[in-house]
Amino acid sequence: MVLSLSVNGDRLTSIANPATPLVDVLREEFHLTGAKPVCREGFCGACMVLVDGSPAPSCLMPAALAQGCEIRTVEGLATNGALNPIQQALEASDAVQCGMCFPGMVVTLTHLLATTPVATRDDIRAALTGNICRCTGYERIVEATLLALAARRQEA
Amino acid sequence: MSDVSATMDFRRRDASDKLRGRTRYTIDRYLPGMLHAAVLRASVPSGRIVRLDTAGAARMPGVRAIVTAAEAPGKIGIGIADHPLFARDVIRYDGEPLAAIAADTLAQAHAAVAAIDVEIAPLPAVLTMADALQPAAPLVHPDWREHEILLEGGARKGNVAWEATVVRGDVDAAFARSDVEIVESAFRVGRQNHVAFEPRAVVASYEDGRFHIETSTQVPWTVRNATARLLGVAASRVRVTVPAVGGGFGLKFDLAIEPFAALLARASGRPVRLVNSREEEMLTCLFRENAEISIRSAVTRDGEIIGREAVVLMDCGAYGGEQIFLTTMTAHTLGGNYRLGAVRLVSRAVYTNTAPNGAFRCCNGVYNTFALERHTDEIAARIGMDPLAFRRRNVLGAGDLGATGQVFEGDVLRPMLDRMDTLRDAAAPARVLADGRLYGRATTVGTWFVFVGPSAATVNMNADGTATLVTSGVEIGSGSMMQSLPQIVAGTLGMNPGDVIVRAADTDAAGYDVGVGGGRTTVSLGAASLSAAQEVRTKLLKVASDMIEAAPEDLVMREGRIEIAGAPGSGRAIAEVAARAQAKIGPISGTGAFTGAGVSAMPGCVAGHFIDAIDIPVFAVHDCEVAVDRETGHVEVLSYRVVQDVGRALNPRAVHGQIQGGVVQGLGYALHEEVTIGSNGRVCQNGFETYRVPLALDVVPVEISLYEGAPSIGPLGTKGAGEVPILNVGAAVACAVAIATGKRVQELPLTPPRVLELLLDRKQDLALPHIADVWADNLVRPHGAPDRAA
Repeated sequence: MVLSLSVNGDRLTSIANPATPLVDVLREEFHLTGAKPVCREGFCGACMVLVDGSPAPSCLMPAALAQGCEIRTVEGLATNGALNPIQQALEASDAVQCGMCFPGMVVTLTHLLATTPVATRDDIRAALTGNICRCTGYERIVEATLLALAARRQEA
Repeated sequence: MSDVSATMDFRRRDASDKLRGRTRYTIDRYLPGMLHAAVLRASVPSGRIVRLDTAGAARMPGVRAIVTAAEAPGKIGIGIADHPLFARDVIRYDGEPLAAIAADTLAQAHAAVAAIDVEIAPLPAVLTMADALQPAAPLVHPDWREHEILLEGGARKGNVAWEATVVRGDVDAAFARSDVEIVESAFRVGRQNHVAFEPRAVVASYEDGRFHIETSTQVPWTVRNATARLLGVAASRVRVTVPAVGGGFGLKFDLAIEPFAALLARASGRPVRLVNSREEEMLTCLFRENAEISIRSAVTRDGEIIGREAVVLMDCGAYGGEQIFLTTMTAHTLGGNYRLGAVRLVSRAVYTNTAPNGAFRCCNGVYNTFALERHTDEIAARIGMDPLAFRRRNVLGAGDLGATGQVFEGDVLRPMLDRMDTLRDAAAPARVLADGRLYGRATTVGTWFVFVGPSAATVNMNADGTATLVTSGVEIGSGSMMQSLPQIVAGTLGMNPGDVIVRAADTDAAGYDVGVGGGRTTVSLGAASLSAAQEVRTKLLKVASDMIEAAPEDLVMREGRIEIAGAPGSGRAIAEVAARAQAKIGPISGTGAFTGAGVSAMPGCVAGHFIDAIDIPVFAVHDCEVAVDRETGHVEVLSYRVVQDVGRALNPRAVHGQIQGGVVQGLGYALHEEVTIGSNGRVCQNGFETYRVPLALDVVPVEISLYEGAPSIGPLGTKGAGEVPILNVGAAVACAVAIATGKRVQELPLTPPRVLELLLDRKQDLALPHIADVWADNLVRPHGAPDRAA
């Protein structure tokens, strides 16, 4: 059986077993190694991708269930080659350390920015419940998100 | 020297790709024709291998190579070589490797591992240090006398892998004085898992008769040398390169799974990828060791510490590893912070049939600071002195002696305490919480050091005006390789740090380096880089001097130009001078090297130590406010403040990032990161569900003040800043909880059940019967006695 997936706007086919976790198909067949399989149990959030616009851990999603969905990975979030607003804010805030959690962080926060333009500090912390970072102690990530939200309001 | 680019909030060049998901860590490397490997691990803590037959596994589909103990004859270790790659005949911990297999797919490798025919006869196990120290305890290494000794001086016997002692002054006389209070405390801490997000991972190949190991490590040269030793080949036949590393924290400060992949690559002739599963990482991660501490002090009524003695037991697990070295550190952590009259300390690394422990950010320092600071509060309470006043009276200052008799330079801790007073007083005063929770606040001090040691650097000046920095340094996430090192080179050469190219670590390209850890990157690699850049500068100025017709000493390098001092815009662009030099005398480069100065201790004070004194002390003052829920035992951290001795902050923003991150890791250790070992000898916490790391909702923004100006031999006055932030978090939280509850906090982590036990007075005072009451009775060999163990 051949799986047909829509990833970052591209139609891609996979010969993987339908039960293969989406994260493995993305990484090993499509060479999209941005999503990181850190815990493989849905706790850490480093493999988060957007499935029809909503963040989901790709380690828990069988590849076959991703058929018919629009999958967007961290590699597909830059707009016209430039960093998107949350990526820009995270870079400007010197938030990145080892970087392993950031693909998932960026996915979750891109969604937050799009859906909760009035998010408070506590909203952001709550939104990050499913994204663990071992390096930064989160503060810079929260600050960068507030910065991106403020910039967005200024533009609006 | 133009210092402008040496001190700035320079951005990381690796952030953009990391944010786009483009960075290829070791786990993201997939080579053409690559095989996948898996390791068979023992599932008993102690046993004898009766049969290990791989014939059936070899016939399984896709299998290309199988390796076992026969292929790895050597043993490695620190101080003593006690650790083979695979268990040979005897199994010493649950999870110990028995064989490794490479196959076309990972599923095939796992299937083949399961097909290995293995029979193990269980043997009695010792799972705790208390068990291991019983007189008739089974020995984890019955052959301990046969281990090759790599460093002389450590006392050893049976399950005591290594013993280090410090004796300075007449401790018995101090305790016998009639005008002192004797205060005695006992503490116990569990293990901590690093949970680096990138597991240990390697891709190895075998090319032209040499191993090429691409790996996620902090120590490329250790991997090179230790792999060679285990495999019984010349170290020059191993090349190690390191891409971006997805988190280290000390986990990757030792050899890991590299030799398995290397052996399989040689056997199969194909590149081999081996990545630890998260479960393997959770069960065999070279944890921060569990430890038990007994400390006793003789203190006068007016707060002078006349005498101190302590016994520290550190669980090294089945093999000595880092804990052998860490026995040294007790002198500088538990024996740190305060002026002591007379002192004696013994630190014992104890073998147990459990997964080996290793290095973790401020190894040994975190729990010894917890013990020392809680003990300090118990002393202050006993003599009726304010804990802060007691600290101010006793902290190490200029000319004071450390535990091993080294003389400290400069008054650092006292002004740092003053700085903390200012921060604390500017914030809200101590409060009574309206919700009925108990409130506590504590200020603690800590002493750490920079693990200096050898580093090498080369700077190649390019004719386009850029420079290439070649070292064996690894970017593990702290930013030192991306920020401070290019800043140091650029500052020396009057360039933009963005024009300094940083070569990723390659043992074929750069000279020896101890590794990235111990707060040494900016200091040791920085000093080597500074000296290499200075050589380039001297050569460039000589060439420029002819071009500009001015003496070299009248020239300055700034903003990409070499100019006559005081005449901006004069002279030539660096690129012009570099191009001229290349044409006339050949390309310009410089080399630099660094190692520790070797501060002296008092003769006869130490035995079994790897270093006698600390070249660069680093101090920290932390302040913490907590609220404790009487009903649930839950501890909430309300505020956290840090004054950190950084020598000089080259990139203050980056240092702040390290402090926030290090404090949060410490909060996990203090409050909820708990490792327990079951009766089967296996670590119980095998994933994120059971091992609870801090989440965004758990943490507070840390208020930070960088204390600059303390003496340091580091380049430009720097000290390591990334390791130390975790140092006194356990201490500060524990002291605050003890103050809030009025109970004796003796253990970490302070999980709700443990705190509730304290609140309900169901917690018995901690007893450590395997620590003898008479200090000298704890020693396998009297301090200073000659080695007759063998």
